[in-house]
Amino acid sequence: MLELKNVKKAFIQPDGSKTPILDLPEYNLKAGEQAALIGPSGCGKTTLLHIIAGIVRPTSGSVKIDGVEITKFSEATRDRLRANKVGYVFQTFNLLPAFSALENVMLGMAFSSGRASSTRARELLQRVGLGHRLSSRPKMMSVGEQQRVAVARALANRPKILLADEPTANVDPANQQQVIDLIRNNCRQEGVALLLVTHAMNVAEQFERVDRLDEINRVVAAARGVA
Amino acid sequence: MSILKIAWRSIQHRGLGSLLTVISMALGVMMVVSVLSINGLVSRSFRNNSSFGYDLIVGARGGGTQLTLSSVFFLGRAIETIPYEYYLAFCDKETRSKEFRNSIAYRGNEEQFRALEALNAVRMAPGSAGWGAIAEGLATDFLNRHQTAFMQIDERGLFSNYVNFAVPILLGDTYQIENSDAYFKVCATNRDYFDKLTLGEGKKFELASGRFFDNDDSEVGYFGCVMGALVAKTSGKKVGDQIKVTHGIPGESGAHIHDQLFTITGILAPTGTPNDRVVFANMEGFYLINDHVKPVVESTGINLRPDRDEAKSLADEGTKPGVELSDEELSTVRLPVEQRELTALLVSVFDEEGFGLAAQYLQQPIEQGNLASTLNWSKFRPLQAQTSAQCVNPVQEVMRLFVYFVEPAKWILLALTTLICVVSGLSILVGIYNSMSQRQHEIAVMRALGARRSHVMLIMLTEAIMLALAGGLIGWLGGRALNVALSPIVERQTGVPVRFWDFAPAEPVFAVLSPLLGNSDFASRLVKFQMSPELLLIPGLIILAVLVGVYPAISAYRTDVAKSLGK
Ligand SMILES: Nc1ncnc2c1ncn2[C@@H]1O[C@H](COP(=O)(O)OP(=O)(O)O)[C@@H](O)[C@H]1O
Ligand SMILES: [Mg+2]
Repeated sequence: MLELKNVKKAFIQPDGSKTPILDLPEYNLKAGEQAALIGPSGCGKTTLLHIIAGIVRPTSGSVKIDGVEITKFSEATRDRLRANKVGYVFQTFNLLPAFSALENVMLGMAFSSGRASSTRARELLQRVGLGHRLSSRPKMMSVGEQQRVAVARALANRPKILLADEPTANVDPANQQQVIDLIRNNCRQEGVALLLVTHAMNVAEQFERVDRLDEINRVVAAARGVA
Repeated sequence: MSILKIAWRSIQHRGLGSLLTVISMALGVMMVVSVLSINGLVSRSFRNNSSFGYDLIVGARGGGTQLTLSSVFFLGRAIETIPYEYYLAFCDKETRSKEFRNSIAYRGNEEQFRALEALNAVRMAPGSAGWGAIAEGLATDFLNRHQTAFMQIDERGLFSNYVNFAVPILLGDTYQIENSDAYFKVCATNRDYFDKLTLGEGKKFELASGRFFDNDDSEVGYFGCVMGALVAKTSGKKVGDQIKVTHGIPGESGAHIHDQLFTITGILAPTGTPNDRVVFANMEGFYLINDHVKPVVESTGINLRPDRDEAKSLADEGTKPGVELSDEELSTVRLPVEQRELTALLVSVFDEEGFGLAAQYLQQPIEQGNLASTLNWSKFRPLQAQTSAQCVNPVQEVMRLFVYFVEPAKWILLALTTLICVVSGLSILVGIYNSMSQRQHEIAVMRALGARRSHVMLIMLTEAIMLALAGGLIGWLGGRALNVALSPIVERQTGVPVRFWDFAPAEPVFAVLSPLLGNSDFASRLVKFQMSPELLLIPGLIILAVLVGVYPAISAYRTDVAKSLGK
């Protein structure tokens, strides 16, 4: 489902020098598979998710989603691909304040090639336990509720893969487990592959597969080896 | 969810900011609409009204513009007068004889004139060679003794063959509405004003009620008047009511209300012209108003005081010598020619070839002062009377007025209002700019959800256009409402009512572009193409919105998703 080969990313610094961030010889995820991605801050987790989502282009290497090589595509094509195949849940929820819960979920479908269906959006919100808050604005909701809306939004287009970047870091401890469960159960139910970045060990422990990016990322591993 | 809805939600979300932006836009557009339509309607009415079916205005020397403004549009202050004889110069023999026989000169020497007429008859009779010479001798002798050229005045007027008609008007008095500060101009004239003049393209004056007064009316005598539609509406007067006129402008020094009562015989139907705000009084009655009677001068050169007794004794002299006349009886005696004067003559030239002949046969001699020679027929004329006269073409004057005043004023107003629109356009920009960092984050989120750069750009543009169009629509309606609110003032000042649906009249709106267009066939057609400038407002607003929306749109387009997501 997800196949990365020799993916390298270097950022060009303002002084013109290149700083390598990522060097992954191989990284794969099967359809419907769930993996936790851990590693210290700055080891490139967010950058890796951006590359998989097609938001950032790798400096070199190959990224295949659902068998399609995306690094060669134009930006607009990658945008379309992302709209159709990738769901994204952010650490800071990133709901749009002007839109109601239902509209935020509908927005997840607005840019895809499929038809936006409010039935689907309602159903998803019901599944995350927010069937009664369809027309609430993000401002009126608790952080836990907001992240649940964000989960529903990420799943709206029936993506092949859901990328979650520290989804519980900003959620109060009492609701963290509920959010994790919602993400995992819904992905399982819809057959969506899940790559979940987390710092929390108690979260990572729940996954059968846990990847340590500071070990598989050669840039970081090499730096540690030297130290 | 459509781009439109996304943009609309964003506008809603910034409620107060959006509202202020729309209001400032609306105010700008309101000004533009109001300026365009009022200016356009007034301009059009100026152009149309400068042709009432007459070609020339004869009046006292001075500004041709002033003469035109006061005679055609009833605007501006009273101007100098011209002698009544100048009117007679355009009249046929019958009219002139009648006036002559009513003159002080004639009535003071009636027997001699009768004798002279008899002599004349003999002189003119066929086969009267001998008698003719004797008669001629006697006539010459009489003429010498009286130092008059009265024979001239008993013939057809100097210019009578060149004109269809000449309508005399007298201005300067006003009608102040009872218990109010509002006043309207009074125009004294005769029946010809309604019978001969036309409104625009040959349209006749129509009455809403009553009838036009006759010069010597069987019901109201010389004291009939007809009210313009606006005057009647404002004053609430009806046919049969009586009004008094004010000498001069109410509230100014020397202004006072005359005693004479004029009876309203008719009320004009609205004409959409300056005539709507004027009271037309019968000139004959107007002349009999106490202090309108001009002082006369005897051969001694002594200036006589112009009072009622004077007029009375003069009248007595000519009608029933030795009999005292009451005020009532006096009001039935026409004022002698010597005591009459006029503000202007509205002349229609008899001319198949247009204006050329009029210029040749009328304008030149009048401007050169040839008419002054028609004045010394009576030793009872006032010495201090004005003798100068000018003859102007109202159409030319109005066009001149346009080029010098109305057009530049319009451009200044347009420039100002365009500036207001640009400023309100900028306010849209500022509104969007101020929220840009928040927007960039939202844009990044939408991009992460799969929105393309073109999507987010379009959303920003749509938002700007929606704000501009909302402001435009509200402003447009507001401008129309403002027009309706201003209509009474505009109508009072210019005689043009402005209704809600009166669009700015069609103009060759692309003419300003002519220097840029070259001279292709398309260009010349475009330059001549006429449309209401108001219709340019919508595309204009969209262009403005796109212009102000371009910056945020580009900024949306350039938003770095990865970076902005982190914020
Ligand atoms: N656009 C960028 N330009 C330069 N450096 C960047 C950029 N984005 C991320 N980095 C750097 O890349 C490294 C990895 O960042 P990130 O992927 O956000 O790590 P993590 O999510 O694991 O904390 C960090 O050192 C960060 O400073
Ligand atoms: Mg991170």
